[in-house]
Amino acid sequence: MMRFMQWLHRWVSLILIVQVVLWLSSGLFFAFTGHHGMSGHQYMEHQHPPMLVDAAPQVGIETVHSEYPDAKTIQLSSVMGIGQYVVTLNDSTVYINANTGTAWETDADLAREIALSSYNGPGEVEQVTPVTGSEEIVGWDDAGFRIDMADDLNTRIYVEAASGQVVDHRNTPWTIADWAFRLHFMDYSGERSFNHLLIWSAGLFALWFSLSGLILLGRNVAQGDFNPRRKATMLEHLQKTGQPVASSCGGGGTCGLCKVTLHGEQLPQPSAAEKAMLSPAELNAGLRLSCQHRVNDKVEIELPNENVATVELQLASKRQLTPSIVELTFSSEQAIDYEAGQFLQFLIPHQEEVLTRHYSVATKADPHKLVFTVRQMPSPSEGVPPGVGSTYLCNLSVGDRIEAIGPFGDFVLTEASPRTQLFIGGGAGIAPLRALLQTEQDTSQPRPCVFFYGARHTSELCYRDEFEQHSGIAYTPVLSEPETSDAWQGATGFVHETVATWLASQDVTAIDVYVCGPPPMLKATMTMLAEAGVPRDRIRFDDFGI
Amino acid sequence: MAQHQRSSQWRVWHRWLSLIFGVQMVIWTISGAYMVFFQLDFIHGDHLVQDTSAAVPADTQVAPLDQLLERYPHTQTVALETRWLNNQLTAVYELDGHQGQTIVSAETLAPITLEEHHIRELANRYYALEAPTIDSVVYLTENPPTELNPALLPIWQVNYDDFGNTSLYLSETTGDMLVKRHTFWRGFDIMWMTHIMDYSDRVDIETWWLKVFIIGTFILMITGAVLLVYTISFKKKKPGGAQ
Repeated sequence: MMRFMQWLHRWVSLILIVQVVLWLSSGLFFAFTGHHGMSGHQYMEHQHPPMLVDAAPQVGIETVHSEYPDAKTIQLSSVMGIGQYVVTLNDSTVYINANTGTAWETDADLAREIALSSYNGPGEVEQVTPVTGSEEIVGWDDAGFRIDMADDLNTRIYVEAASGQVVDHRNTPWTIADWAFRLHFMDYSGERSFNHLLIWSAGLFALWFSLSGLILLGRNVAQGDFNPRRKATMLEHLQKTGQPVASSCGGGGTCGLCKVTLHGEQLPQPSAAEKAMLSPAELNAGLRLSCQHRVNDKVEIELPNENVATVELQLASKRQLTPSIVELTFSSEQAIDYEAGQFLQFLIPHQEEVLTRHYSVATKADPHKLVFTVRQMPSPSEGVPPGVGSTYLCNLSVGDRIEAIGPFGDFVLTEASPRTQLFIGGGAGIAPLRALLQTEQDTSQPRPCVFFYGARHTSELCYRDEFEQHSGIAYTPVLSEPETSDAWQGATGFVHETVATWLASQDVTAIDVYVCGPPPMLKATMTMLAEAGVPRDRIRFDDFGI
Repeated sequence: MAQHQRSSQWRVWHRWLSLIFGVQMVIWTISGAYMVFFQLDFIHGDHLVQDTSAAVPADTQVAPLDQLLERYPHTQTVALETRWLNNQLTAVYELDGHQGQTIVSAETLAPITLEEHHIRELANRYYALEAPTIDSVVYLTENPPTELNPALLPIWQVNYDDFGNTSLYLSETTGDMLVKRHTFWRGFDIMWMTHIMDYSDRVDIETWWLKVFIIGTFILMITGAVLLVYTISFKKKKPGGAQ
């Protein structure tokens, strides 16, 4: 439920953020400008019509009535001191000059006078233009005049010809405000309507967004996150005391990197986030996400690897393994205690920030020498720069130094068992597998090792000679797109397909499996292994995030 | 390590700011949604009333303008209209001038004073829904309800016993229906009040606290956007292993 709320809150905010910016900016504009500043009426004069006696209309109301007996109302008032009848009929309105009894007429000169009588600003009339309606006045499309005033606000006064009435004043602040209304109401027709489909949808999204935020806030309050004397979360505690712990999301329970093992009599109940990120077996073993629990005297925290430390590496050598994979060998003055299959987190300076990238060690453990295989990431699409991390690492020169944290990870060899060790790899996933294979082969009595490695063509088969020459490893390279120049005699297709064929003749309960490769390959392989009946707890994998 | 510490800090800021400004943001979205989802015409109560203007009865002897102006010289505007008075469609002159607005008989030019029963009759003519049932009629001279502009006092308030608790407000001098209110307008008014954060007069959109809350919400949004970058765009690695 809470995870759904987080998901909802995050994705809706992504969709909504632009409109929220527009709502806030236009709202702020309204708050600073005020009703009067947006009205266009800064220089509008309140009208004081003269007494009708003084206008001395020549035509009586009774005469007009006899002419229009069906009129719903007949109103007499004055425009610039001249009597004017407004006769409202069922479907139209008639304006009559009360002196002549004929239709009211407004010429440019009269329009100018009418406009001036409604104006108290500092400007003179700049020009009078006959118009038919105006884009600035929604709903008015009759004939009339636009009187431009030469003033600081660029005032325009619209006068209707048929009635001789001032339709409205417009000026530059009004135009700016009108745009603010368009943004606030999402009505770009200028009608300032806030009852339409677009804003209904936005309103609905905004409602979901703010209510999910409110629910999450309620959870934070309930958890005591706002209590100044509350205890720190385990993650905060570890970070504050400088203990190495990984985290991408900063305590949101969404990245799953801050895993720790807890020891104590009463372990905290797993949260929803933990149930999603950790397996039941892990939870039973006392694994928790350190961001989800508060520091507690009764519980002892064990970091996934107590040997984790920040180390400084110096590039000792580099060589191109395949067209896309570079092998980097680093030396470390400080001894690093790691196991084959584990990875280090490189700190990559990028602009103002420090990015982290994970790379597995590609050889058996050596405390002072670490080898990594880095796949140079091309641009994922046009306009997006190539991988920041890999580009930085590949551009290091021999002698350059870089910081890394580690080791992390539990992609390591199984405890002693008589089972066959099956390794399935693809692309840059070679690194931890090679480390594991080397380590296994180094033991006094290596278990049987079978290694399937998938690539597109022969030029991508890194460490091919090394594996082919090794008598203890049954090495099967599988090419998915062999080129004619490869003159390839070996297996073709996807690596998991070849493994499936091989597995068909094996006792699936007598093998341990290690999988590492790009996500699609990993996914296909995991599915294949499940279908072949390999028990899940015999499979270890590393979802090398490339 | 620096990066991880940073995203935690953003999260702390996001939480604290949301405690103060996020709550107002919830209020803004709820009130905004209310105002957006109910059609403005409906809120205005246009469906509650109808046009009652009608042509002057044919047999009316309309008093001439000269006589009218002689008797009421301080008139700036005059209109020949009709009113339903005592079940009769009656021609009247509605005058507007320094003396305020009044209605007089269009035949005799005698002033017309509107009593409560006139107001009831006029209100029922304006009322557009079926079977008008008046709950109460109140002559308001002071302490107007918040839904009424005090400048309109004194005024007649006619309350209907219907779905929206409709109230029509009629001018005491002309019988014109000046204001119409119903439950959804009142709801809109409260939503508007919370939207602009002017809790007294519901008109001032320039209060300092409104500006502070808008700017605060801006900052809240920026912290949220930063967290969004951290949580959505960073590729994560879940170290796998035996289960």
